[in-house]
Amino acid sequence: MSITLDFDAKQLDNKRPLQLHCLPAKIDGNGECGNVDKFFNNYTRESSEYGSGILTNSLRGYPLLGKREPVPKGFKGVVVQETDPHQEQRQLRLTGTFEDFTYWNYDKVPSKGDAYQQALIMLDVADALATPVSEEQLEEELKRYQQAKKENA
Amino acid sequence: MVKSATRSAKPKVDPDAAPQQQKVCSIKKVFYISEKLLNIEGDQRMCLERFYHPGKGQPALFITQDREVMEVLEYAEPRRSWLLNNEVCSNGRTYMTTPIDPTFLALYHLRKHCTQRAMSLDSISVDEANGSTNRLLTKFINAESLKCVADVKTSGELIFYKYNKDRTLAWLALKTRQVVSVLKAKQVHCGLGAKSQNYVRSEKIVDENDVKETDYMRMACDYVGRYLDAGLHDELTRYLEIPSEIQALVEESATAKKRKSQQGQATANSKKIKLANGEDVGTQLRNSSLLDSDDNKESITSPPITPAPLKERSLTAKEKSLAKGAKGSKSIASFFKVK
Repeated sequence: MSITLDFDAKQLDNKRPLQLHCLPAKIDGNGECGNVDKFFNNYTRESSEYGSGILTNSLRGYPLLGKREPVPKGFKGVVVQETDPHQEQRQLRLTGTFEDFTYWNYDKVPSKGDAYQQALIMLDVADALATPVSEEQLEEELKRYQQAKKENA
Repeated sequence: MVKSATRSAKPKVDPDAAPQQQKVCSIKKVFYISEKLLNIEGDQRMCLERFYHPGKGQPALFITQDREVMEVLEYAEPRRSWLLNNEVCSNGRTYMTTPIDPTFLALYHLRKHCTQRAMSLDSISVDEANGSTNRLLTKFINAESLKCVADVKTSGELIFYKYNKDRTLAWLALKTRQVVSVLKAKQVHCGLGAKSQNYVRSEKIVDENDVKETDYMRMACDYVGRYLDAGLHDELTRYLEIPSEIQALVEESATAKKRKSQQGQATANSKKIKLANGEDVGTQLRNSSLLDSDDNKESITSPPITPAPLKERSLTAKEKSLAKGAKGSKSIASFFKVK
């Protein structure tokens, strides 16, 4: 059972970037909403009292603190949508791409302590984990271990 | 180029008109796709597939392109949603494609089937309906990289593999060290204080040299362990001689006690001076124990085991108002300082 991502790299470059907001709220519902530019983006302010690049806004009266976050280096931000989940051959269609998005927090200034920032460390960990080990390194480690074993015995 | 592909014509509609057309809205998904996957030449599309994930003990999502395989990590927070242009997306998750050494995925099958005798990859049969394991082993596994975990025997066209425990553990140990160096470079919190990152500036902690080598090792080993079955993870922990967390806790508390008693001595000495002011040892002790429990802010910013030093306690409301009144006047403590 596999799902095809129905696009290629060239299509990505032709897309106009999407504007993304990562909101700290569970919204039950999908689809079009009111005019985001008029009712939300219009009220985004930069407020230096929280630090450089920190934005403020509010959602339904709740204050938000946000920050522009780029897509991590080496990655491409892509939004996809499944056309028909009941088809035999499942496919994901390309909706758009993005270079950065605004990460909003409700009760704290976006910082290194955010779960999102910590999740990004996983990307580097995965990179390190996937880096192949050379034959020489392996031989060295085997020798080292044998020696340690002997010393302990 | 794009025009020739008929299937791609649809999503290429004018982006402004797009929201109106998508009345039937299945949930959108936000992906971080590695450029490495996108840069692979070829006509093949990327595919999401499920392969058996040894760490999870069940099939997990992977993304494949040609002969490359990557893991799909799902980042989710309990309350998150996306706003995409003028659309709400209730699925606040981010899917990230991360590189994975397919050897990890093959290792599980090698351990299961090839410990007693050498086998070729295509003869490893797993009882499953869709044959994903077979596809995994024959298509995405690089025979060369399996040398790290198995003895390889070639006979004519066929290549046979036999699981080699020593080599596997050495290989895993090296992988663990690679992860350690990343954790160090990123100044990731490890050890018992890791829970308090919200309160502590990470730079500070690293300066204090609070994080120990074993803590890094344990964390890295846990990361590697996410791709291993439990048995092999235990073997790796033993190989790297990482004490279990409980053991570490016991040791930690033992040293903490030592520190506490040393500090007790220190405060006892300082008390002698104050005794002259007419206070008895009992109230002093009570005060100091109160400090430890009441003064939350202090105990969070300082490493959790050592109690907050006496000098740095925060002021009570009464003292604060007193201090406010005394602003500008000389501190009373200055009269008692050794000149």
